[in-house]
Amino acid sequence: MEYIKPFKRILLVGCNECVTVCAAGGRKEVGLLASGLHMAVLKSGATIEIREHTLERQCDPEYVEELVPMIDGVEAVMSMACGCGVQEIARRFKNKPVFPALNTKFMGASERQGVWSERCQGCGDCLLGMTGGICPIARCAKQLMNGPCGGSTGGHCEIGEDTDCAWALIWERLKALGQIERYVEITPAKDWRPGGGSGPRKIIREDLAE
Amino acid sequence: MQKQQQVSDKVLVIGGGMGGIRAALDLAEAEKKVILVDRDYTIGGLMTQLDRTFPTNNCDLCTLSPNLSEGSRQEYIELLTMTTVKGVKGGKGNFTVSMETAPRYINLDKCTACGECHKKFPQCVRFTPGLDHRAPTCMRYPQATPQAFSIDLAKCDDVEGLMKSCPAGAINPDDMGRKFEVTCGSIVLSPGGSLFDPSHLDYLGYGQQPDVVTSLQYERILSASGPTMGQLVRPSNGQQPKKVAWIQCIGSRGLQKGAGAYCSSACCMFALKEAIVTKERFHDDIETTIFYMDMRTMGKDYERYFLRAKNEFGVRFVRSRPHSIVREGGAENLSITYSCDDKSANITEEFDMVVLSTGFRISDEVRVLAGKLGIDLNSSSFPVTDPFNPVATSVPGIYVAGVAQAPKDIPETMVQASAAACMAAGDVAVPVKAEEDREPPPPEFATVGEEARVGVFICDCGENIGGVVDAGALAEFASQLPQVVVSELKGHGCSRQSMREIQESIRDNKLNRVVIGGCSPRTHETKFQETVRAAGLNKYLVEIANIRDQATWVHSNSPQDATAKAKDLIRMAVGSVIRSQPLVDQSLPINKDILVVGGGVAGMNAALQLADQGHKVYLAEKTDKLGGLAARIHSTIEKGDVQTYVKDLIARTEAHENIQIITRALIVDHSGMPGLFKTGMQTGKQMFYRQIEHGVTVIATGAKPNRPPQYLLGENAAVSTQLDLQALLAEKPETAKAWDNVVMIQCVGSRDDENPNCSRICCQSAIKNALRILALNPEARIFVLYRDMRTFGFHEEYYQKARELGVIFVRYSREQPPRVQAGDGGIEVSFTDPVLGRELTVAADHLCLSTGMVADEDGNSELAMLFKLPRTADGYFLEDHVKLRPIDLPVPGFFVAGTAHSPKLINESVAQALAVAARARTMLARDTINLGARSAKVDKNICAACLICVRSCPFSIPFINAEGYSEIDPAKCHGCGVCVSACPAKAIQLMQFEDDRILAKLEELFERTNA
Amino acid sequence: MENFEPVIVAFCCHYCAYTAADMAGSQRLTYPANVKIIRVPCSGKVDALHIVKAFEKGADGVYVAGCLEGDCHFKNGNVRAARRVESVRKYLEEIGLEGERLEMVTMSAGMGYRFAQVATEMTEKIRKMGPSPIHLALAGGASEARKAANI
Repeated sequence: MEYIKPFKRILLVGCNECVTVCAAGGRKEVGLLASGLHMAVLKSGATIEIREHTLERQCDPEYVEELVPMIDGVEAVMSMACGCGVQEIARRFKNKPVFPALNTKFMGASERQGVWSERCQGCGDCLLGMTGGICPIARCAKQLMNGPCGGSTGGHCEIGEDTDCAWALIWERLKALGQIERYVEITPAKDWRPGGGSGPRKIIREDLAE
Repeated sequence: MQKQQQVSDKVLVIGGGMGGIRAALDLAEAEKKVILVDRDYTIGGLMTQLDRTFPTNNCDLCTLSPNLSEGSRQEYIELLTMTTVKGVKGGKGNFTVSMETAPRYINLDKCTACGECHKKFPQCVRFTPGLDHRAPTCMRYPQATPQAFSIDLAKCDDVEGLMKSCPAGAINPDDMGRKFEVTCGSIVLSPGGSLFDPSHLDYLGYGQQPDVVTSLQYERILSASGPTMGQLVRPSNGQQPKKVAWIQCIGSRGLQKGAGAYCSSACCMFALKEAIVTKERFHDDIETTIFYMDMRTMGKDYERYFLRAKNEFGVRFVRSRPHSIVREGGAENLSITYSCDDKSANITEEFDMVVLSTGFRISDEVRVLAGKLGIDLNSSSFPVTDPFNPVATSVPGIYVAGVAQAPKDIPETMVQASAAACMAAGDVAVPVKAEEDREPPPPEFATVGEEARVGVFICDCGENIGGVVDAGALAEFASQLPQVVVSELKGHGCSRQSMREIQESIRDNKLNRVVIGGCSPRTHETKFQETVRAAGLNKYLVEIANIRDQATWVHSNSPQDATAKAKDLIRMAVGSVIRSQPLVDQSLPINKDILVVGGGVAGMNAALQLADQGHKVYLAEKTDKLGGLAARIHSTIEKGDVQTYVKDLIARTEAHENIQIITRALIVDHSGMPGLFKTGMQTGKQMFYRQIEHGVTVIATGAKPNRPPQYLLGENAAVSTQLDLQALLAEKPETAKAWDNVVMIQCVGSRDDENPNCSRICCQSAIKNALRILALNPEARIFVLYRDMRTFGFHEEYYQKARELGVIFVRYSREQPPRVQAGDGGIEVSFTDPVLGRELTVAADHLCLSTGMVADEDGNSELAMLFKLPRTADGYFLEDHVKLRPIDLPVPGFFVAGTAHSPKLINESVAQALAVAARARTMLARDTINLGARSAKVDKNICAACLICVRSCPFSIPFINAEGYSEIDPAKCHGCGVCVSACPAKAIQLMQFEDDRILAKLEELFERTNA
Repeated sequence: MENFEPVIVAFCCHYCAYTAADMAGSQRLTYPANVKIIRVPCSGKVDALHIVKAFEKGADGVYVAGCLEGDCHFKNGNVRAARRVESVRKYLEEIGLEGERLEMVTMSAGMGYRFAQVATEMTEKIRKMGPSPIHLALAGGASEARKAANI
């Protein structure tokens, strides 16, 4: 709300990829937020015009080009994509303020309809092959590399009953796979450089890049 | 080789009232050929003259008219109006019937019912019977079928001028009428009853005092299409009456000269209805009083209606037979003199209007007809019927339905009509399927991409809409809306005339969208869809604004609000219809097997009838044997042997090759759609699970005998129920022989707070058992303590016989019930005798309680939940339409028979079972089921394949296809729209309920508010 | 806003609530004309977006009317609808509208009296609450709405 207060005309942009799938920033949520913002502004005694548009993907410049004919008519843009989308729009339209409408939290999987859990932190050095397909980086609160801490009780993390201990899960899984020897192997200290430790990351596929 | 007699493939239905129409429609829909004859110039019978019907107080015309138009459209029905039966030869399978059609002097093919002839020559058209003092018209009601006039040539002195007046050239003064013969395999006799004429009873003043009218005349006065255009006024002075009285049992219960010995069964209810409708119109400005002997509200939920009349509407009830109705010289008002229990002197009271509740009788004409058919009649001239099949007459192949069988109301007539159709269908050959010679509807014209051109048609619907709001002004309002090309007022949009005009308007004005401002889409959408389709418009481009049920009916207290809301509804419909799109229906092959739930008399009869027609029937019974409650009953009041009947029924059911009996069946799951159901059950001692696939489900689960812990029942061996007593009388008659004093108490566990309805059967059970006791011991003294004796129909004669034989009937009131205590060697029953005004105590050898029946609460609630069937407040299954569709349940493909519907007698259960078979066949005659067009459609360009629809669909229909987007099979989609509202990409739309149409409604609604 | 007459939208499922409304009609039960029905096949079809849009356009109250629990003709559309209504209520609160302006109700097809009763109660309730701030803002312009917001 604070972001958009000074403006009379804004463009609310959704994204038909990941945020649609997790019901956060697709056409439907765009509509709901537009209505909600409109009402909130009306209620405060002001008026606002909110235009809605949903792009196929906000993180690809070609799709973002679609906004060109709309952009001049508005004073600011609000993006319902993940941080990538927000930044891509901001990059493309340098003279328009762009605001995020979502807090991008994590990369996760859906446990069931409407329930998502964090599964990956993009550390750049995957060790799922060693840990029975369960990631101790994303799923252990302490990101321990060699077994659980003392707070693990009854398969739960000391954070709370709702959080499974990643290492307990790894142990069960390895047992089931008949690979308990993996558990005993000592994993050396993790190299965090590929995980962002040496600044913003970039991938260049020589064969695709032009 | 002897030439085999050929079986005809036609059924003759005599009488075009509600019953005849229902029978003809059921037969036609089951693909049997029908000849429907009526002596009148238009079909519809008595019901078309009623204003509204109980207990819903609906207007009849609108519920009946779709049936009528349906009737004439059916390709299997040949309609012969103004035709009478002259003679009958032959027998079942091959009757030859000679008939005569009177001249109409109008060519039905040419007549457009424009009314020009009637305008110019009002004297030449027949006079409408009753109170019609407008210009006579021959169109008895606006939705008449056939939709044409008829001429009374005798009254015409300028035949040439009359002929010229007809723009269609339809008038033919040389019309001769004709005599002809038809052959048929069976006959359904449904000529209806006529009403008792009280003219000869001078003490009632009927015929001399204009303000004394019969109930039918009163009905016409209330009716919007009646002589006073629905204004309730006194015939004598045109003023609104302030005090109206009804007098019951005129021409019934053997009371007057020429009256029938029977009870006419329907009069109590229609008096209540007329009183309530009167009260509704005038509220506190009018007093209504009903003079009665016994209030006989024994039908389903009728007792509640009675209570509403008394408690909510303040209708006054006086238990008395008035002695006379007179108008003192010079007085304006009528005086009724009567006496009451609690006063010894006569009371004289003044009224403005008196309505005589005249009963039914068999007309001379029907008696003569019965003679020609050779069927036996009882002493009241009604046909004698089989004790366990009330539609079977003494002549095989001839069946009777409706009031001509016995006095009854509309739902029972509908049941019998379907039952007669079922029996009649069994006697005729399967007709060779006619070539598709029916004219196909014109090709649909293209509408996609065209600018919307909307036509709005507002129904006046008689008093129903026009009586509350200015319907013309609504039409005017609609004409101003954007994209509306025409907006017109229609009298009754559902009449054939209006339908034709709407079609013409579509063609002339190149309309591509239609809005009807009228009644509920639930009842009339299909009809209007067919109408626009016949004009070449896709049927999904019409929308109904329900300005009757949602505005005029419910806001009649504020015409201003009703008008404003009607405008909103019309504007919303216009906004929505503009965005509608042409759609195509889906269809699937039908499963013709049947599941019957319940193996009592109703279930077995329905199963046998359907199995005889070649259907595979699964008969699921909860207990380990067939027979139900009837297996415990020995005899009917008419002395029909129930035990033998039930044994025979079980034997036939068990032997039938098409019936599979499943005992100890407990239904546990159910899915699918009409024509394609799947029901799972646990069966047998081991409770094995099995699943049955079927197209139709028949609910015949019965009811339970009631055993309320009252009056020492279950505590004292000398206290029993009527059910126990009849068993004892049959099995151990010697016990009863020794009884000197027997007391029976009626309405135990019925008509009280816990079970407000009447159990219908107990009054006749009490009399049946009392007569049996007297047969064993003529010296026995029997007291029947009752609130109202409800011996409807011919049971009245047994009531009379019981009184003749000395059974003592003593009335008690709900406030002062009898008191019972165990005494030495018997039961002491104390009660107040209202005539003596004294308290009496009888030491009874036996006390018998008329406990009636109650719905099987546990069983029914379970089934209702599984099958999604609604129930009444007292736990019985609720039918789709309490008047016109008493056996169809609201979920298509479900039918109900027997006491699962409401308490009833064995022969009534049988009739309902036969009726169910007829109704089920109308559905099973088709090879495919139309699934409509309401299905979810995915826009593959937007779909993000997120799986939300896949996970949220209650029926697991959507899947992500090889191309990577969600796909929904329209034939499997149930059309609930859950996926649509869950889709985060808004990639799914539900056809007919698209988002833009819903948003358009909101837009239109708030346009006014915010303007 | 003197003589405030609320506008209330009732999303009614075809099988139960809409039928009950018809039943109220045929029984001539009266209820306030403030309630306007939009027919949907199942209460589960009612989109959160449509509810929010109704308020955005100026509705003072909205209710979703479905079948009784266990009676839904599409298994559990009414249960979904109830959950959805609950979440939209929270959203409305976030925006600053009273959640009580939105209700989920259930009834069977035969309950004409209940339909009339719900319509009456809802109208009474909203009438007491007064116009929705959005309705005010749309009707009276910004200045009045600001006044209302400050009080």
